[in-house]
Amino acid sequence: MKSETIEEVARIARLELTETERTEFSRDLEEVLEYFSMLDEAPGEKEYGLNPVEILDMLREDEVGQEIDPELLVKMMDMFEDLVRGPRLV
Amino acid sequence: MKIGLEVHLQLPTVSKLFCSCSTSGNGPNTSICPTCLGFPGSRPRLNRRALEMTILISRFLNCRISERSWFSRKTYFYPDLPKNFQITQYESPIGVDGGYSFNGKMVRITRVHLEEDPGKIKRVGKSGEEVSLIDYNRSGIPLVEIVTAPDITSPSEAREFMADLLIELRHLVGLSERNEQTVRVDANISVGEERVEIKNILGLKNLERGLSFEASRQAKMLKAGKRIVRETRNFDEERRVTTSARSKESEEDYGYILEPDLGMYHVSSMAKMIQVPETPLKRAERLSAEYGIDRTSIRQIVLTSSTLTDFLERLCSNVPPDIAVTWVLGPLSANWKYLERRLDEDLSDRIENTIQMVIRGDITDSEARMRIGAFARGGGAETTQDSKERSTLAELVSECIDQNPQVLFDFRSNKRAANFVIGQIMRETKGKYSSSEIVETVNKEIERRLKDRVVT
Amino acid sequence: MFSELIDEMPLDSSFKFNFSAKDNLCTIDFQTRAGSKILDGYRPPFDATPVRRLRRAGGLLVGKTNMDEFGFGTFCTNSGYGVPRNPFDIERSCGGSSGGAAAAACLLEDHISLGVSTGGSISCPASFCGVVGLTPTYGRVSRYGLVDYGNSLDKVGILARSSSMIKNHFPTIAGSDPMDPTSCAQPALDLDETQIDSIAVPREAMENIHPAVMDSFLRALDIMRDRLSIDIHEVTVPSLRFALPAYYVLATSEASTNLARYCGMRFGVKGDDVTQHFNDYFSSVRSKNFGKEAKRRILLGTYSRMVGFRNRYYLKALSVRQTVISDYARVLKEHDLVATPTMPFIAPRFSEIERMKPIEMYRADFLTVPPNLAGLPHISVPCGYVDSMPTGMQLVSQHWSEGVLLNIANMWEGVFQYRFPGARQ
Repeated sequence: MKSETIEEVARIARLELTETERTEFSRDLEEVLEYFSMLDEAPGEKEYGLNPVEILDMLREDEVGQEIDPELLVKMMDMFEDLVRGPRLV
Repeated sequence: MKIGLEVHLQLPTVSKLFCSCSTSGNGPNTSICPTCLGFPGSRPRLNRRALEMTILISRFLNCRISERSWFSRKTYFYPDLPKNFQITQYESPIGVDGGYSFNGKMVRITRVHLEEDPGKIKRVGKSGEEVSLIDYNRSGIPLVEIVTAPDITSPSEAREFMADLLIELRHLVGLSERNEQTVRVDANISVGEERVEIKNILGLKNLERGLSFEASRQAKMLKAGKRIVRETRNFDEERRVTTSARSKESEEDYGYILEPDLGMYHVSSMAKMIQVPETPLKRAERLSAEYGIDRTSIRQIVLTSSTLTDFLERLCSNVPPDIAVTWVLGPLSANWKYLERRLDEDLSDRIENTIQMVIRGDITDSEARMRIGAFARGGGAETTQDSKERSTLAELVSECIDQNPQVLFDFRSNKRAANFVIGQIMRETKGKYSSSEIVETVNKEIERRLKDRVVT
Repeated sequence: MFSELIDEMPLDSSFKFNFSAKDNLCTIDFQTRAGSKILDGYRPPFDATPVRRLRRAGGLLVGKTNMDEFGFGTFCTNSGYGVPRNPFDIERSCGGSSGGAAAAACLLEDHISLGVSTGGSISCPASFCGVVGLTPTYGRVSRYGLVDYGNSLDKVGILARSSSMIKNHFPTIAGSDPMDPTSCAQPALDLDETQIDSIAVPREAMENIHPAVMDSFLRALDIMRDRLSIDIHEVTVPSLRFALPAYYVLATSEASTNLARYCGMRFGVKGDDVTQHFNDYFSSVRSKNFGKEAKRRILLGTYSRMVGFRNRYYLKALSVRQTVISDYARVLKEHDLVATPTMPFIAPRFSEIERMKPIEMYRADFLTVPPNLAGLPHISVPCGYVDSMPTGMQLVSQHWSEGVLLNIANMWEGVFQYRFPGARQ
């Protein structure tokens, strides 16, 4: 696997890989993907579901309800006044 | 010039798309729960009304409704996106291949789908310590995304299109002012061959401004012989210019997968049970066609009030449409705020009768206006009994003149010939009517008859 | 085996039974770290539904059991919090990813363990630790409060020393939960005794198995035939060999999106420097706190769904899953159960595991993955002892028929005696 590829995949996944990791994972992925290529000859059904059993038309009524006190959740997060603090944007 | 729009509109549900948090939070980060914060172990549950509204909008836009629809995960990393993926629809939008006709032209609708709103980044940076600050009240609010083909041909047309669409959607799903203020548009515009995308424009004014700036920017470049780069740009509200965007989203590979937690939806079956009501502008179109009313007038009426339009429709069945329009646009519209409050069968009859009387010439235009004004102020002295009595007066006058045709002949040379009839009616009605009323009615009737008559 | 244990047993005797929960099930009063450093210190604001239901039924939650990070592993060697050792031989693995759960079920006499299976994480440790492990139909038990690995593959189940212990408590955790829509498509649970006449054994599952393990399995089949009057039939299920790659594509694709949320914001471990650009901040936290196997699976999963690869891997895997489901349905129409050994070998030594390549470890799941991919309920029961180590037999039945599995396990326990290492409290 090309090192650009593994770098690109890591970037998309927000993972910083060390040189060693890049080499190791490249090799691992290559081996596993080689095995995955078996799927090319596998018989596949044209119609398939999202789940192994049919999950159909599951809907919730449009009603307001709050089971957990938002205050509790706010206490768990890193806040600045009443806003959640996150990293730099630009 | 070709312009295509990707409109994101918040749906006016009371709870969010995937959880039962309220869509109107009271203070930042008060309407939140594990689901809309993306906490581990939380699970999405689809809001029925949001789905129904999206189906309704799709039907309204004449889309083909998919047989089955499901949701997908669009993965990208940003502080306002709790799960770092957005649950949206990728391969299976609810509606496709529709169209919206406006100003006599058809704008094709490519797709309509449902997705969740991310949180809102409120302030960026205190100088020195730059961080993002996020309010997750907005996270999980349902958004309907409507995508048009590049059939729009100018920035002002884009604005008009949006304005009209919002009018219709307001009626269709009950959009509130808040929903409308938060409409976000991604616009694609190409003056030449190459298309430029302007992302995340908030509101209609900015839409027109952004597109205008971009149109002239592209035109200038083409004139100078330069190439236009296909890219994504942002609109700077304050400076009213578009600027090249940092390639945040343009280089993302969203890696769409299906969302198993929500399963599948038989959308076309649901669509069969949803009726599309007549929306204001569609109604305007219909009335214009049915009664030959000009577009500007009917649009104005329809946008003033739906009950006023109801009244117009009622009038049009008994009164020539152009007259109906004049009266509706004029005194009725002016007084509608008050009339609407009292409007019942009785008042409707009286208003209609008043107009009929003007047409017949029983009363003058200004008299009718006065009466309508009186109705608005609280009915005044007018009762059905009164109006019956007024037509009785007209009838009496008519009868009297029938019995004394020489009055008509004499009147031509001597106006005072009318006094005969006046005196007669006064005696007959014994003070029930004011003298001025009698005078007016008699004179009017005589003059009307003389006009009709071929004088030998 | 416990990533977190109760401080002291309550004196209150109102509790009817005690249980443990795999550390990817949210619990209010214990940390929930799913075997990962990135959730160190995380205390959820709610209980997972299966935990809540067992508590409501009088259960005392005594602790959270150790597991492979997020469920990624077959030998429970990928936890950020130590490695549980096999109760039969401490040089050997417990199996994974519900390793701690299986060890607890094995060592503690009157104890049931909540486990979770995605590709075999209940069956495998059950087999290695000599206990019974029930993996219900996908959608039978609510996943509300389960830290996700693969949303179309995860199932909460129970490990215990006997099937009757499982049968006692399974109805409590089963059943629709409005907080998890995928649990609302289930028919009523039917645990009535049924007639079991015929078991199918797929030819494809008989290769690449350690001879002694195969031997135990065949002898178990003999016992079923002779003492329980069940017919054994060999069948062929060709799509079975494609189940493994399809599974790993789907599981890693789903997992790579599920793990995107762990980025040092809102919950879990925070980054050091919040003034970093968000991409750097996220990458830094994730890289420092995800284990190697987690990174590997995230990379695999991300790749499988990228533009240009998505059709070949992700979408193809979805359609292959459907074929596996159809093939099983065909077999289970003619036969009551499908049987295979649970794992191709007994619990390996840690030194052996260290030498295994990732692809070898994945391929060790080839027996447990097919029913997991198809969402079919299955049960692993001890069926032999090789070098004093337990080996298991896995029985698969139709969707929603957990009753049949508990039934056969119960029948099996009438003709086969399980062994346990010296009991410890």
